[in-house]
Amino acid sequence: MRCLIQAPLTLPLTPLAPPALEDPFMSLTVASQSKRRKLHLWIAIVVALAALGAWFGWYKFFREEPQPDWIIKDPEMRFKYGSIGAERDAGIPYWIFYILPRMFPDKLPGPGGLASLGVSWEQGQELPIGFTKKVVGFPRVANNCAACHTTNYRTSADSNPIFVNAGPGHTLNLEAFFRFLVDCAKDPRFNADNMMHEINLVTDLSFIDRMIYRFLLIPITKKRLTEREGQFAWIYRKDFPEWGRGRDDAMNLTKYFMIEAPMDNSFGPSDIPSIWNLKKYDAPGTTMNWAGDSHDSYSVVIDSALGLLGAPPKSNDEFLDSVKWLHAYLKQNTPPKYPFPIDEGKANAGKIVFDSICASCHTSDKTGKRMPLASVATDAERIDTWSKENAIAANKVVSGFGIQRKGLVEAPLEGYNPPFLDGLWLRAPYLHNGSVPTLRDMLEPAAKRAKVFYRGFDLYDPTNVGFVFQGADAQRVGTEFDTSARANSNHGHEFGTALPQRDKDALIEYLKTL
Amino acid sequence: MSAKPSQLTWLARLASRCWGRVLLFALMIPTLFVLVAASMVWQRLRDDRPVVYESIEEHFKYGSTGGERESGFPYWIFQALPQVCEKHLSGKGYASLGLMFEEGKDLPVGMSKRSYQGIDRTFLNCAACHTSTVRDAANATPRMYLGMPANTFNIMAFQKFFFACGKDPNFSKDFIVPEVGRLMKLQGRKLGVMDRYLVFPLAVWLMRERLLMLAGRFDWANTQHEWGPGRVDTFNAAKVLFNFPMHKLPEKELNGPGDFPSIWNQGPRTGMQLHWDGNNTMVEERNKSAAFGTGTTPPTLDRNGIGRIEDWLLTHDAPKFPYPVNSEKAQRGAPLYKEYCAACHGAGARDFSGEFVGKVTPWEQIRTDRRRLDTYTYDLAVNQATLYAGYDWRFRSFRKTFGYANAPLDGIWLRAPYLHNGSVPTLRDLLEPSAKRTKIFYRGYDVYDPAHLGFKHDVPEEGAKHYFKYDVSVAGNSNAGHEGKRYGTDLSAQDKAALLEYLKTF
Repeated sequence: MRCLIQAPLTLPLTPLAPPALEDPFMSLTVASQSKRRKLHLWIAIVVALAALGAWFGWYKFFREEPQPDWIIKDPEMRFKYGSIGAERDAGIPYWIFYILPRMFPDKLPGPGGLASLGVSWEQGQELPIGFTKKVVGFPRVANNCAACHTTNYRTSADSNPIFVNAGPGHTLNLEAFFRFLVDCAKDPRFNADNMMHEINLVTDLSFIDRMIYRFLLIPITKKRLTEREGQFAWIYRKDFPEWGRGRDDAMNLTKYFMIEAPMDNSFGPSDIPSIWNLKKYDAPGTTMNWAGDSHDSYSVVIDSALGLLGAPPKSNDEFLDSVKWLHAYLKQNTPPKYPFPIDEGKANAGKIVFDSICASCHTSDKTGKRMPLASVATDAERIDTWSKENAIAANKVVSGFGIQRKGLVEAPLEGYNPPFLDGLWLRAPYLHNGSVPTLRDMLEPAAKRAKVFYRGFDLYDPTNVGFVFQGADAQRVGTEFDTSARANSNHGHEFGTALPQRDKDALIEYLKTL
Repeated sequence: MSAKPSQLTWLARLASRCWGRVLLFALMIPTLFVLVAASMVWQRLRDDRPVVYESIEEHFKYGSTGGERESGFPYWIFQALPQVCEKHLSGKGYASLGLMFEEGKDLPVGMSKRSYQGIDRTFLNCAACHTSTVRDAANATPRMYLGMPANTFNIMAFQKFFFACGKDPNFSKDFIVPEVGRLMKLQGRKLGVMDRYLVFPLAVWLMRERLLMLAGRFDWANTQHEWGPGRVDTFNAAKVLFNFPMHKLPEKELNGPGDFPSIWNQGPRTGMQLHWDGNNTMVEERNKSAAFGTGTTPPTLDRNGIGRIEDWLLTHDAPKFPYPVNSEKAQRGAPLYKEYCAACHGAGARDFSGEFVGKVTPWEQIRTDRRRLDTYTYDLAVNQATLYAGYDWRFRSFRKTFGYANAPLDGIWLRAPYLHNGSVPTLRDLLEPSAKRTKIFYRGYDVYDPAHLGFKHDVPEEGAKHYFKYDVSVAGNSNAGHEGKRYGTDLSAQDKAALLEYLKTF
């Protein structure tokens, strides 16, 4: 039978026959040589592929690009936006971070995206102050000290905020931010399909980067953020009040994250402090933080920075370099002057009042040193959140990283340190737990201080010296602070409350000058 | 045979046998078929061709900003909807929304067409909000002016029409596909089998899903007072872009529509505080920001398409006043202008120099309706700085302000009604104190009133068309402010007439 289809070209399909060889031995050698050559070729290919793969992996996931010059060359910008190395372990892939507020506005405290968290956000900047963007394989977002330690205020309703580096972040709702990330990650909408759709609306990623986001970054980020939930369990407790704007439960954060202590029943949110002018703590015998729980400012910077890293530093040298830079920056940094007029005569009169009733604690050798609680009798909860054992454990963790510092005070806490009063006007609300909205209120007996107010509104009130804490706008922007809730008591420190009104006015005028 | 069969590849072995060749040949046909089909699908998905216009004017009217890629309506569905959702329109076709059609065009001015992923799509472009018409009398032919505020286009009604239509049970393949077939037949074209049973039913479904999603996000607009033609609440729409929960916004941030502005002579405006409240000093950002309104997203913006328009607008001049001007009277108005207006509005018609030109006057001084100012918030400004992230042209220049910006007055005769919220129907009325200004008038009519400088505003309807009743007592609509001695409202009637005459030359 004739085939219907003739093979048109058999030749190209046939491998070229090797030339016929006379000597069978020779042909054998050639064959084994060519076999070896083949093997070498295969090895070379495998090695090359492996090298290429390793380079690709390094490039796409680990290569580090320095931040731009406008950040690293300018100390003010570096404080606000400079990386302290937190992107490596705590960093969130940039595009995921970017779309979260748009995808999950229901998990934020209000309208305004991230702004609703009370972050300090300068106009024209793609990220709020304290949010750092750095390429570690891919752009990632993490935080630095400025997230909590930059503050803002407005001098009139129709004006834009003024930002102050190293000031207490009185508007930041840190608890809401922590919850936001975890709540997003737990939501079923946090999946590759939805998120890639959103990402593709805002940027044009390469095919490879899309695949990396879809199959690696989105699922890994979801997993990592969801895992935090256990450590954050206490911020979800219904029987604890909200921290509210401008406060964090600092020692519990250290306990549950750094030393991974078992969850206890303590709760002691306190005001985020100002960290300007750290050189004042160089005075011998001073300790740091509200309750004098740390030996020196260098240790505090290290411990806080480690908290942001969420992991041991990749390189201690690099880490300590940035800590030392921060420490030096914060030592020389000074608080801003009071931005409204001051009645000088009145302030002078106030100085006399100050010297007679305030100076003995606030500008004396007692300042910045430990003091028993009984003498001030303010809310005790903050003290119960920390112990000698906790301090020992935390110091062990840090020395385990190979980092030398004086560290946390390994002794039971006994009370609150009388603080230095530099930049006092910008440190409202007052007391360690931020339970007294203004200085004027501080000079009233506890029974007459505001019982329920709103904190975290940034409009300044020069009459009462503090932020506007009542009214529709304060209520909408701020968070409610109820002094009857746990750890929120506004009792204690009832000094000068019996002064005649005239003296109080004079004293307040003087305090504006600090 | 040059080699033993064992040394041959399996393919060669197969091809060396007769049955093998038959088998190979038989396999080749479906393989080829799949390849061809795949390449066709690939070609179709890659397809991305806007309709291109050589002339810049045509490009402005009908050219693409890239908005169709992400936001486009499938062209044929768009054409079918006025019939399918007839009951959601107040009149016949898209013209009833205040869009205008030129002779022989299938789309209204301000809508572009692009073939994208195998489907013709259409969406708004710049001209929709920045082009309109003027008639000298009710029976005169309308003249079109490019770059003027779209005095007749009701963008809120446009939005609501599509959302209402999307929710309507008629929005289904059973109603839309036959209508598409009918429309195509009118053009002598035939709806293909693929299109009839696959492409269009799928497109209808996708468009419906999308409309319902957008309707949810824009739900806030249903709680707002009517903007009426020629106005839009720009910066509340911008909040929708960020998916802000609109129902949580404080009341004072809402109900703040502004008039569509004219967009000619952009070159001399470089560096000015742009937008009514002067919230941005970069023309490029202002343009890209406005382009979100034409459906673009950062990756889909047609930078060439919009670039042509940007270049043209730098020098595109405002049209001259087409009616007689009493030059002697106008000359008497010139010194008055210099005394009362020039410092804020520029030394002359095309001379934008002046101490306060293009700068924000604090609200305490100008005291016009505050709502538009309050719609723009600091929180929005910082969020806008995230737009175009990852591109060199990321937005950096949006700033919260606390007043309204002083605009140059080129082509002011075409920019009625006046003030940022379009609350004063004519320039003549603007020279009266607010207590004496018109309290209720009709907007959206295009017959011009050269005596008062503005459109005739006492006409509630013409034929089947109804115009928008503007009530200055509604929130956001106040006609207060820009009054008092400094603003010329205390001038004598004679002086006002002279000043008005002079402004006709702008």
